[in-house]
Amino acid sequence: MTDKNSERDFTDRALSRLPQPALSPRLEAALMAGYDAWNAERKKGVRAAVKAGLRRFTETIWPGAPIWVPASALAAALLVGAGLGAALPAAMAGEQSGFSLEQPESFTLFASDTAQEEDL
Amino acid sequence: MHDPDADDVAKAGQGDRAAAARLISRHAPKLLTVARRMLGAQAEAEDAVQEVFLRLWTHAARWQPGKAKFETWLYRVMLNQCYDRLRRRQAAPLEAAEEIADEAALPDAGLDEGMLGREIGQALEALPERQKAAILLCHFRELGNVEAAEIMGISVEALESLLARGRRSLRSRLEHLKGFVGDPS
Repeated sequence: MTDKNSERDFTDRALSRLPQPALSPRLEAALMAGYDAWNAERKKGVRAAVKAGLRRFTETIWPGAPIWVPASALAAALLVGAGLGAALPAAMAGEQSGFSLEQPESFTLFASDTAQEEDL
Repeated sequence: MHDPDADDVAKAGQGDRAAAARLISRHAPKLLTVARRMLGAQAEAEDAVQEVFLRLWTHAARWQPGKAKFETWLYRVMLNQCYDRLRRRQAAPLEAAEEIADEAALPDAGLDEGMLGREIGQALEALPERQKAAILLCHFRELGNVEAAEIMGISVEALESLLARGRRSLRSRLEHLKGFVGDPS
């Protein structure tokens, strides 16, 4: 065995005699507590980022106004939009069915078609 | 290159507690062993491991798989922690000396084994820090030379040189324990 190999062999055997420190439940709990603390900070950071983004947005569409002003405007616009969305299709459907009862063009077309058939 | 930790790192970065627990149970024991042997003191090794995991959580959300192997990065952070602490200790040697734990005080160590362990531990601790790191990574982590060199940020040749010098030095320091450790054939 070469010197290098015997040194490696000796070192490996010596180091394997060292007692292995065990991961204590206390350290494991401390590590998880560290994770939980970081996670709580991260969530706070996400909430703060959402708030800041919202503030920037309202500042862009309604500068200087408190947040309830653009929020109320948005809510009012949504209500008007929903109301129109519910009422208009029914009204338009009524108008369309009245129009379809009296279709003079369809009779004219029918008449002209018959005339054309007779010519042929 | 498949990184077995990549999924758990990404999940832990998004707040998955179970993934964090898996990373801890997979890596903390080995990290503690390396830190314990690098620093000599159990309490300081535990602090270093906690510091490494705190750094891991802050980087987990930004972790980019494929850029580097997670375990390589983790051990590099661990080694840097140990180097920093050893340097701070050199700056304040008296305070640190009080914190060094007795090797024999480790649980489950019999009297003879405890004394033998203490001698081996002291011989290991007396090595220059880079030789010690090279030996610990290759012995306790059972890493190949290429990966250990990558962790230490040196060439494979430089690592082999550190290993050779470290082993020679360790053997000469422990010559009187040859009978206990076992004769090299």
